[in-house]
Amino acid sequence: MTQATTTRKESDRLASKGWLKSLLARPEIGPIGVMLLLFGMLGYFSIPAGEFSLNPFAGEGFNALGIRNNLRVIAQLGIIALGAGLLIIAGEFDLSIGSMIGFAGACMAMVLRWGFAIVIPYISFEGGMHVEFFTLIYIDNISPIGAIMITMCFTLFFGWLQGYIVVRSGLPSFIVTLGGLFFLRGLTEVSLRAFNHRPDQTKGATTVTELPDIKNIIDVPGHGEMERSAAKALPDADLLAILKDVPADTVASLTERLTYTAQRVADAKTQIMAAKGVKPLERALENAIESGNTVMAETIRNKIDTFVVTPTVPKEVTDIDVARAYIDTLGSARPIADFFGGDILQPIFDFLYFPVDWNTNNFGNQFAPGLYSCVMIWVLLAILCYVVLSRTQAGNWIYSTGGNLQAAKANGVPTDRVKISLFVFSAFCATIFATCQVFEVNTADAAKGNLKELEAIAAAVIGGIVMTGGFGTVVGIIVGAFIFGLAKEAFFYIPGIDGSFYRVFLGLVIIASALLNENIRKRIMGTL
Amino acid sequence: MAGNATEPLIETRGLVKRFGSFTALNGVDLQVFPGEVHALLGDNGAGKSTLIKILSGVFKPTDGEIIVEGRTVSFSSPRDATGAGIGTVYQDLALNALTSVTRNFFLGREITHFPGPFGLLKMGEMDRIATEEMAKIGINVADPNQPVGTMSGGQRQTLAIARAIYFGAKVLILDEPTSALGQKQQMEVLKTIRKVQKFGDIAIILITHNEIHARLIADRFTFLSLGEVIGRGTSKDLEGDDIKRLMAGGAEIGDLAKELAV
Repeated sequence: MTQATTTRKESDRLASKGWLKSLLARPEIGPIGVMLLLFGMLGYFSIPAGEFSLNPFAGEGFNALGIRNNLRVIAQLGIIALGAGLLIIAGEFDLSIGSMIGFAGACMAMVLRWGFAIVIPYISFEGGMHVEFFTLIYIDNISPIGAIMITMCFTLFFGWLQGYIVVRSGLPSFIVTLGGLFFLRGLTEVSLRAFNHRPDQTKGATTVTELPDIKNIIDVPGHGEMERSAAKALPDADLLAILKDVPADTVASLTERLTYTAQRVADAKTQIMAAKGVKPLERALENAIESGNTVMAETIRNKIDTFVVTPTVPKEVTDIDVARAYIDTLGSARPIADFFGGDILQPIFDFLYFPVDWNTNNFGNQFAPGLYSCVMIWVLLAILCYVVLSRTQAGNWIYSTGGNLQAAKANGVPTDRVKISLFVFSAFCATIFATCQVFEVNTADAAKGNLKELEAIAAAVIGGIVMTGGFGTVVGIIVGAFIFGLAKEAFFYIPGIDGSFYRVFLGLVIIASALLNENIRKRIMGTL
Repeated sequence: MAGNATEPLIETRGLVKRFGSFTALNGVDLQVFPGEVHALLGDNGAGKSTLIKILSGVFKPTDGEIIVEGRTVSFSSPRDATGAGIGTVYQDLALNALTSVTRNFFLGREITHFPGPFGLLKMGEMDRIATEEMAKIGINVADPNQPVGTMSGGQRQTLAIARAIYFGAKVLILDEPTSALGQKQQMEVLKTIRKVQKFGDIAIILITHNEIHARLIADRFTFLSLGEVIGRGTSKDLEGDDIKRLMAGGAEIGDLAKELAV
């Protein structure tokens, strides 16, 4: 036997892997590329027709309102994608997210609208056997936080139950949560109809409407709590009375702002009128040149050069206007509702309107009041998930539970508890989604959240989560949500193509991402 | 090479394990001394796995006793065995290939800034300890954050062994550590075992099918067949053919060689 000697060590083999390769082994690298592509597409295609700009950020997708709306779609999806993604990393699925959203929204809206009661049915024998109901607790007029807590009790319990069934029975979570999907959606519709039925039992709507605009309930000095729109519609005398107690510098700054708006609106109007007036002349000029009528052309050219529009006079700012503007500045008397359904970053968006003049629409008014609150909630949740997954013991347990269940168990990781907790967290995220929606639009609908579970899973997969578990990052999930949301918008702006092409595109991206994820996973496992 | 200690670190007396009417172990005596590699040999079904599962707390013995450092112990779970200083490195190693060396090293026993599952990990300290502990038994990890999947089978064995030792194993049970490896990596693992042997205070029980490896590294041998000890001795006592013969459960392997040659 010959003795082969070599100085090559095992560790040398790893060292041969360059920085490029280790960069490519990052799970987020592919998705980030797609995200940048979509950013470019959205920017480029949303530039209005007939204009040309090399700067894609000149497009409508990136004006203030575009950012507000796009980020809302992305954030909503991002919230549930975090729940779904973490659960997939631990090796399980949740298909009940969409139904959970519908259920949570309906539950919350019902509690807000009709109060909360615990009713115990019992069989009564007085006057023939029949079922009677004993009302144990009835609370009318429940605050937003109360409604959220009550809803959480139901949804978190259901999340726990699904997790418990999965770990105890060993059934695939796909089946258990598929059951949850149908069960919850059905339960939502049934209960909504039951509560909504007319006295004559004819019709039961599966929606809850007529909720007050809770986030916009304000405490108006001298009038108590009322909705903002009602406060602004108060009689002039009342409005002036309110204004009397407002500090002078506040009045001054409000007046300055309103004056600016009036001027800006007038300017915009003037511009529009000028454009409108000149356009027919220009068309006539073209015709004249074409037909060779030089005299006529000269006349029209003169007319264009001397065309003047009388500038629109800015509307005068009255004390009533200032009072209404002051009412707009009053903070919500329901901070919890405002936290979930209100706007954030208003001062920045105000600043971008006046004095920056970027957040301005074509008519000179402020474009977007701010970002939807769900964006902030998404950011907070994402930071929390990032810290937990990559910086804590729990994160290590989540990875190992999904990566190698037996190994995790052998090392004393409470894998059942990890899985159940993540089912609960998934239900929590769905409830947060529903909470934001309910307080944003003040309605609930049994159909809310339909197919959202698949979108959440798709976002997670696009973001580099491997379906078999144990692999993926929070940054990836965030990027996945961005891709999903951006694709929806970017394809909408491409001129001359059907907006539904975004689904075609996403389908391809999902498959491509899954292939890429598997490739990366194998490379890390050392089997490629 | 053999340890000079006269007191065994772990000892079993008359260990019996029955599964219903099936007797897996029928009165096994075993003595393992600190600083020694004790090879546990035997054919498939000889009872090796049952024995180590009893030692590592997975099974409870039907009869007989286990004595660790002079005290009779009784394990009701693998955690008890680990607590008593018995670390078992299974064939599948209980590693998560997708996460880093450090994360695997401390899996289930992470060092955190404050208690509870949401305690922040002390990543720096954990990286340092993992690197140091693996270096002690002969593997220099280039990057403690590399995924375990990128490591060779031998390095993974080393990681599992280093982990068991760091978390207090005085008796190290290695279940066929070389069986799934290529030649070069087998040698690497043997070197690692030798390093641990040289510490002098750790007793190693080595389960193996490979007679050559056993002879290379073991100080003492116990042969099992059909649940009983059919032979034992130190490396000096046993001739090469004895080992071969006893491993096959006492059958004349020489005869088999002749039969096959026909």
